[in-house]
Amino acid sequence: MSDKKPVSNDTPAQRVLIIGAGIAGMQAALDIADAGHEVLLVERLPSIGGRMAQLSETFPTLDCAQCILTPRTVEVGHHEQIQLLTHAEIESIEGEVGDFRVRIRRRAAYVDWDLCTGCGLCQEKCPGRALSDFERGTGERAAIYTLSPQAVPNKPIIDREHCIHFLRDRCGACAKLCPVGAIDFEQQDAFVEADCDAIILATGYDIYGLDRMAEYGGGKIPDVIDALAFERLLSSSGPTAGQVRRPSDGRVPSEVVFIQCAGSRDPQKHLSYCSKVCCMVAAKQATLYRHRVHNGQAYVFYIDIRAAGKGYDEFTQRAMEDEQVVYVRGKVSRLFRDSDRVLVMGADTLTNRQVQIAADLVVVAPALRSHPETVRLAQMLSLPTDRHGWLLPLNENVHPVETSRPGVFLAGTGTGPMDIPETVAHASGAAAQVLKLFANPCRQR
Amino acid sequence: MARIGVFVCHCGLNIAGTVDVERVIEAVRDHPDVVHAADYKYLCSDPGQSLIQDAIETRELDGVVVAACSPSMHEATFGRAAAEVSLNPYRLEIANIREQVSWPHQREPEAATRKAIEVVRTLVEKVSGNEELSPLELPITRRALVVGGGIAGMTAALDIGDAGYPVLLVERSERLGGHMAEHSQLYLNLDAGDDLLRQRVEAVHNHPHVEVLTGTQVVALDGYVGNFTAQVRADYIGNTEEEDGDTRHEDVGAIVLATGFDLYDMGRLPEYGGDRYPDVVDSLQFESMLRDNAVRRPSDGRVPEEVVWVQCAGSRDPEQHQPYCSKICCMYVAKQIIAYRRAVPQGQAYVFYIDIRSQGRGYDEFVQEAMEEHDALYLRGKVSKIAPHGGRLAVWGVDTLVGNSVRVSADLVVLATAAVPSAGTEDLARRTRAATDESGFLSEAHPKLRPVESLTAGIYLAGGCQFPKDIPETVSQASGAAAKVLRLFAKDEMTQEPTVAYLVEELCSGCGTCVEICPYEARELHPYLAVATVNPALCQNCGACLVACPNKATSVHNWTPKQILAMADAVV
Ligand SMILES: Cc1cc2nc3c(=O)[nH]c(=O)nc-3n(C[C@H](O)[C@H](O)[C@H](O)COP(=O)(O)OP(=O)(O)OC[C@H]3O[C@@H](n4cnc5c(N)ncnc54)[C@H](O)[C@@H]3O)c2cc1C
Ligand SMILES: Cc1cc2nc3c(=O)[nH]c(=O)nc-3n(C[C@H](O)[C@H](O)[C@H](O)COP(=O)(O)OP(=O)(O)OC[C@H]3O[C@@H](n4cnc5c(N)ncnc54)[C@H](O)[C@@H]3O)c2cc1C
Ligand code: SF4
Ligand code: SF4
Ligand code: SF4
Ligand code: SF4
Repeated sequence: MSDKKPVSNDTPAQRVLIIGAGIAGMQAALDIADAGHEVLLVERLPSIGGRMAQLSETFPTLDCAQCILTPRTVEVGHHEQIQLLTHAEIESIEGEVGDFRVRIRRRAAYVDWDLCTGCGLCQEKCPGRALSDFERGTGERAAIYTLSPQAVPNKPIIDREHCIHFLRDRCGACAKLCPVGAIDFEQQDAFVEADCDAIILATGYDIYGLDRMAEYGGGKIPDVIDALAFERLLSSSGPTAGQVRRPSDGRVPSEVVFIQCAGSRDPQKHLSYCSKVCCMVAAKQATLYRHRVHNGQAYVFYIDIRAAGKGYDEFTQRAMEDEQVVYVRGKVSRLFRDSDRVLVMGADTLTNRQVQIAADLVVVAPALRSHPETVRLAQMLSLPTDRHGWLLPLNENVHPVETSRPGVFLAGTGTGPMDIPETVAHASGAAAQVLKLFANPCRQR
Repeated sequence: MARIGVFVCHCGLNIAGTVDVERVIEAVRDHPDVVHAADYKYLCSDPGQSLIQDAIETRELDGVVVAACSPSMHEATFGRAAAEVSLNPYRLEIANIREQVSWPHQREPEAATRKAIEVVRTLVEKVSGNEELSPLELPITRRALVVGGGIAGMTAALDIGDAGYPVLLVERSERLGGHMAEHSQLYLNLDAGDDLLRQRVEAVHNHPHVEVLTGTQVVALDGYVGNFTAQVRADYIGNTEEEDGDTRHEDVGAIVLATGFDLYDMGRLPEYGGDRYPDVVDSLQFESMLRDNAVRRPSDGRVPEEVVWVQCAGSRDPEQHQPYCSKICCMYVAKQIIAYRRAVPQGQAYVFYIDIRSQGRGYDEFVQEAMEEHDALYLRGKVSKIAPHGGRLAVWGVDTLVGNSVRVSADLVVLATAAVPSAGTEDLARRTRAATDESGFLSEAHPKLRPVESLTAGIYLAGGCQFPKDIPETVSQASGAAAKVLRLFAKDEMTQEPTVAYLVEELCSGCGTCVEICPYEARELHPYLAVATVNPALCQNCGACLVACPNKATSVHNWTPKQILAMADAVV
């Protein structure tokens, strides 16, 4: 045994603010809360889970995202040491390590969540309709809604823009039906002030929209969709219950073209960096498509196949060999609607030939980009970002989760594109820095 | 008479799309012990859990069967929900009708429904025989062992030590630093790796809570999470098991494995002549030339004016070498090119590659810089042969973009050889009961959500030993492993599942059959009483002893022979 004396385990509980409740924010929250400290977890959306909640199955082992995610969301939702504030935004942060003061705006849900039991009656009967952001436009939702049936918390919000009560002062069906009288059309935004000792930014990424890419139809061709929308079509909890049906006419597509690096690796017109995950996403989606549509043919236009990770290259090989996915090395030069199909023209740089494919569905792998909210928060905290808005760590190599500001740490894809395992490890890394700080309350890094 | 409730989850369409949930409910309703049966679209959701809780209270249930997904998903969720309304969680059983029923039988709804009914009935029998148990509490030794003193091991040791817990860092070689100590500059900013490393090495050596043993290895490990005893020995070489007075026994509660990687031996790549031609070197040899500011040909000391890098040497080649991509080489080759051009401004760099893998913030731009500002010529294709030619080397390959075969004359060839688990990883894994994958790297507990945990509780993974990764990823993973250790040490006591084997002493003859059969070393003979014992902390509830005991003296809590018989009867 070493003669060094073990520490006492009774350092006072301290509190960390975690902004963003994707898989990164949740992982950091659980690591810190399980070590006995308090966590205030603030999420912009009405429920937690982030992008992972939208995914179908995950590479490289194809487990269903919801299935592995819900145990975590439930654990976060019920943890005694974690206080969840969803549908909420950071208004301001002042102070410094050991003494941050935060002001948080809880946006009006028009539902009293303390009363609501999450029975779902209101959503069932609501006549208001809107395209669902969560379904990435592939499906609809009511004007009063939760993101998914397994949402944590499972409490609805009313979308004023599509609610008939707010639009035309009629309806009120939800208010009449709600068994506990939770609907409150007069609800206002509320403000919460909190003190905390440290902060973790886990605000994740956003998607570079098709509307920015005229070369791929600018989002105006119904059967040209982005990879996140395709995740919803593949998901058994999505609008098509996991059947691949194309948006225009609901037909099952028999030829699908995947276009890689859309908006990525294009310093002239779009973004200069590589978005890291999309090569694997395409291999996964092409595989899943073939699992759903056995005689379907998938093509992938790529520049380099970036499958670097445990089992990743092998996974891509299997997509090529077992699922007969045709990989075409080259850029798509043009794409347009041709009667009920989409004509994709490109060059195969390996054979130096022009290729032309009449596709039933085109799936574009959009760049991952920094969340605009991240930039706002970075400014609020005077943290450096790169020219694309990604958060920069204190040192690229040896301080990947610390920032130039003591007590402020980074977790997950706010710092740049990453897949889930890398995100989770990174988030636990941020948790370690917080636990370390909390073990030495007076020490500042 | 028990009062059991059965709850069947639809899991959206995951279960209900295949299994006829109504029929399952009907089939268990008339069981004498079942007083309540209900279904719901997502039982794991908040309303789903409330539904179960309400029924437990209003119907005064004393046992519950939840038919849903695998217990590894939501056993904790439902157990907690039950406990909140004062039902002992060990009186709740999960019937896995998703992973075991609806998914594998997607195309046979009838068979799936029948199987679901059987599984649920079986668990109704089981739960009526379940005892009320509470988790076992075990003490924790709040001291960590870190194996490997590269950047991963040092980072984990510092994070744990900084939080105030003692750490023993065991490094096999004579110095700390691992491969990072061999590097020149580091991408992306071409930071001097030396300065960063020196700070870390000093911090480790000066840390009041970190004890460093170099030239030392772990030779054996006993115990379990919270209470391991490791034997460490100085100058331990390979597998020789001779007695040695130098062995120290160290008590620790958690272990971080950080044993890193090695490069694939060039001798195994005869097509590139690495073992025959002095001017064919591997990437670490070139790294040290850059580091020592001595970029010269090993053969004659001349400054190489044309250098060829061969990527994926031994990687991505399932037929002959490693099937996987080594992940780090595309980036360090670009770095070596930039560093080479700074050292030899007139030099020309060529790279043979299959795909350039430079993903993430700033990485692709970095490779672009090597191409555009340092005129590196990237040729997409495989090298078929390297041979000496007039004092230089001729490199033959195909340029798959132009479709031609090409021949490049080079003064020096650098092989970006595959990264493989460091020597002895397999041996260490065996000694510590940590599993390895098909390539010999250490296996993580879950490829997505538990990337820093090994399959053995209390043993965590950091850095290249799990899979090749660069320094930024290594460091965050190492801190992640430290977080798991800190999370464990923050608890006053460890809890362990109480569903373990136990002994009816009156029946035991002390024959030792269970001691022989137990794969987890949980059984021992009592030092002086003529009976066997169970170490509940080590028992994994496999039931081998229960089957083997000739005197029926062994049983497993909540898996008693009586329960098992009742369960078997439920099926026929
Ligand atoms: C189409 C597609 C498919 C993918 N498939 C896979 C796969 O199969 N396997 C895999 O490993 N990875 C996959 N990924 C990558 C995966 O999505 C990410 O690795 C992961 O979701 C990152 O988690 P995160 O927590 O960092 O970010 P996010 O999931 O983006 O979470 C960030 C959270 O922060 C919230 N937030 C943002 N700003 C604020 C603010 N100001 N205040 C409060 N909250 C805020 C957001 O609402 C969000 O909930 C895929 C990505 C895409 C695009
Ligand atoms: C040529 C080259 C250039 C590179 N350049 C860069 C770069 O510029 N930027 C970058 O980010 N990454 C770079 N890398 C990757 C970088 O080397 C790794 O990310 C990093 O070294 C991984 O650290 P580690 O601690 O996991 O493993 P290692 O550095 O391999 O350290 C493992 C340590 O464990 C010890 N050990 C092994 N087995 C045992 C045992 N059984 N018992 C006790 N001790 C043991 C070893 O002696 C060693 O000290 C480069 C790699 C190569 C090959
Ligand atoms: S008032 Fe009507 S439209 Fe608005 S949320 Fe309620 S039910 Fe929907
Ligand atoms: S009807 Fe009322 S209680 Fe039910 S989900 Fe809607 S708001 Fe909540
Ligand atoms: S990961 Fe692949 S598809 Fe995505 S930007 Fe990088 S190279 Fe392109
Ligand atoms: S990282 Fe690049 S060089 Fe290394 S094996 Fe992968 S593709 Fe080949």
